[in-house]
Amino acid sequence: MTEILSINNLSYKRNLTSILKQVNCSAESGSIIGLLGANGAGKTTLMRLISGAAKGFHGEISINGNTQDIERKQLVSFSHQLDGVNSHDRMEKIAEFYQAVYPDFSESAFKRLAEFLELDLHQRLGNLSKGNRMKFIIAITLSRQVQLYLLDEPFDGIDSMSRKKIIASILQWKPVDATILISDHHVDDVANILDAVLIIKDKKMVVSEKADKIREEYGQSIEDYYESIYTGGKEND
Amino acid sequence: MKFDDKIPIYYQIKQYIYREIIIEELKPGQQIPAIRQLAVSLTVNVNTIQRALSELIDEGVLVTQRGKGNFVTTNTRTLVKLKNDVVEAQVRELYDQLSALNISPDEMLLYLKTYINSRKEVHHD
Repeated sequence: MTEILSINNLSYKRNLTSILKQVNCSAESGSIIGLLGANGAGKTTLMRLISGAAKGFHGEISINGNTQDIERKQLVSFSHQLDGVNSHDRMEKIAEFYQAVYPDFSESAFKRLAEFLELDLHQRLGNLSKGNRMKFIIAITLSRQVQLYLLDEPFDGIDSMSRKKIIASILQWKPVDATILISDHHVDDVANILDAVLIIKDKKMVVSEKADKIREEYGQSIEDYYESIYTGGKEND
Repeated sequence: MKFDDKIPIYYQIKQYIYREIIIEELKPGQQIPAIRQLAVSLTVNVNTIQRALSELIDEGVLVTQRGKGNFVTTNTRTLVKLKNDVVEAQVRELYDQLSALNISPDEMLLYLKTYINSRKEVHHD
């Protein structure tokens, strides 16, 4: 397999506060990768940096060999939180907006996903339950035809039926060679579907490991392994 | 399907397919579902399914027909050996656990026989 994403010596500060230090990691093309870490560990920041939404870091982020912010923006679909979107707008209208903004947005992919996720596109954004709002975000994010998808905490605070549906939609519609990075702090949600895990702790990437290797070589569940990293820890700093 | 997260998922998928074949939920020569369909119905990653299937193909349990998909082997010897292997693994586990309790082989047989009889009685009621 080829590498779609490679990060070398990435450091990032905001207002003189260090947020990420010397991060190194890579992702194989076609895989589903869990980005794990406690709240505030730097998961969202790392995704914003990968996607080109946040700038001014040290080191290198390369997607298929492209290192410029502008190039990366076009190669990555990052799950938006729809913060700037008018909550009176209907989902179909918001989708039209995305289609106009992103040339790689596939209308047919969006229709398929929306149908699979049982979304009623006539509904207004502000009237959606938390679960349906996240389903809509997932549908929009996965409708762009790109090589790398970043899903930031897609299961945070949503009911288990919505979670299962979202996981099924990922498994059903992920193109074979597309890569998905999913951040989460509840490992159990996604453990089954991960090829590999990245664990961030204390601003650093402390683990990059294949999921079945953790089970095979350490005899641990992903969750136990993750907890052992956080509580015992290989590093104390 | 519920997975034990301490055991590699691809391994558990292999065991699952072995069982389906042994109980003839999947019959000799029958086509198995497409990879994507298996991934969605078992809620695991496509790559994990692929790894399990490619090992099953290497073992001769599944046979690939180019452009058509994967089928359960019709080779009787392979199927008999598969069943023996799976049963033996279960028996081995039981044997090891009882050995660890200092139960002798003769006692094991006795326990097993008594237990089977008690299950039979329950069955008759």
